[in-house]
Amino acid sequence: MSTTPDSFTADKLFSDLSGKVDFHLLDVRNEDDFDCFRVEGPFPIQMSNIPYFDFMEEQDTSVSKVPKNMPIKIVCAKEGSAQYVAEILASQGFSDVSFLSGGIKLWGELLTPVRVNSKNDKYDLYQFIRPGKGCLSYGVIYGGEMAIIDPSRNLHFYRNFAETHGAVIAEVIETHSHADHLSGGLELCFSQETEMMAHENDFPDSPFNYRRLEDGETKTLCKDGPEMTLFHTPGHTEGSITCLIDGRYLITGDTLFIISAGRPDLGGKAEKWVYDLYETLLDKYTQYPGDAEVLPAHYVTWKEADESGKFAAPLKRLWNENPIFSLSSENEFVQFIIDNMRESPEVYIDIKKVNRGLVQVTEQEADIMDLGKNECAASHYDSD
Amino acid sequence: MSDYNADSQLDCSGLNCPLPVLKTKKAMDDLASGQVLKMVSTDPGSLNDIAAWVKRTGNELLESIAEDGHFTFYLKKS
Repeated sequence: MSTTPDSFTADKLFSDLSGKVDFHLLDVRNEDDFDCFRVEGPFPIQMSNIPYFDFMEEQDTSVSKVPKNMPIKIVCAKEGSAQYVAEILASQGFSDVSFLSGGIKLWGELLTPVRVNSKNDKYDLYQFIRPGKGCLSYGVIYGGEMAIIDPSRNLHFYRNFAETHGAVIAEVIETHSHADHLSGGLELCFSQETEMMAHENDFPDSPFNYRRLEDGETKTLCKDGPEMTLFHTPGHTEGSITCLIDGRYLITGDTLFIISAGRPDLGGKAEKWVYDLYETLLDKYTQYPGDAEVLPAHYVTWKEADESGKFAAPLKRLWNENPIFSLSSENEFVQFIIDNMRESPEVYIDIKKVNRGLVQVTEQEADIMDLGKNECAASHYDSD
Repeated sequence: MSDYNADSQLDCSGLNCPLPVLKTKKAMDDLASGQVLKMVSTDPGSLNDIAAWVKRTGNELLESIAEDGHFTFYLKKS
């Protein structure tokens, strides 16, 4: 007798991947979509790609490729095809088969929180990891208010998170205009739910109101919460900023990552921005407090995560270990950037327009634009 | 518009995968070699899926047209 397969949530998939639960992940999307974007986790994943239509064409051969005697978790684009294959496997005697609810789209949107600072601090600082994209956003909670830095599009998550922590979203800071993912800041701004803050160089022609941040400015987050100092750090974009929170946490946006730096060629002005980036990293960044924890907006690989599962490292450690800081001359720096340049995804041009409020897209178009891993790092590393 | 003489037509509007490919497969099974099926879908996933399925089965995708949220495929049976 076969059983009806159950579904599992993206959240559960992430917790199983993090908990090293033993299972085989079967991705039944077509090969091109699989090659573009697939599930990643903190540990190596046992995974195979057999498109669902292979199960239509040659059921027995396809079924025989699926490992027996272990739980099978199936993912597809939306859900229907994974359920279709799950039912075939269940009817063929597989006892533990389940499928991803909502498909890879919900995996792509998933946000998972990690506490950054000590529970004894007067404010809460969280890192929100987006495993489907390699994006990191941040939340500061104090006195019933939450400030979000670089929110993803999944506002449902942030609103819920704020609510469960007895807070409302009160402030949004964009470290720069993102090219790789759709920002949630825009919707918050348009809906007048909260005030957005950013550097005007990145939003010169935007039709919405936002507060312009100045280099060297200090402000208090969440009314009388922790203090934040802002630095204008151009290079990845003209209006990139770096935020030092409580003198201890350096929110670097796409300027500095744990093992790389933000590529200066996504704006089409690499020849100029590469020199800005050099000055930002080798001049400004070498003067910030070395004990400050670098909290970037992206990771390239899960190997960068620390033992608590978050992406953070003291700045002084990166001075020694991040290859960007070993490039001592301007020429060497420019050469490194040129050597590591690669094509940027075409969709980035459209994403930037949407994030600046210059173009509006439907929900379905937004879903397609926002799928896939980021390509923001100057140097490319294998994610295996 | 393309002017392929479709021998058979299939409307998959409003259906999500796996149904567009599943129904296309069944419709193609009923055609003779060289005959053409016109299929219309509203699922954007059909674009890559039909292209990949055609490669897999040896049938020929004469043309795919994306217009106003509708995707039209002309498929020739091998």
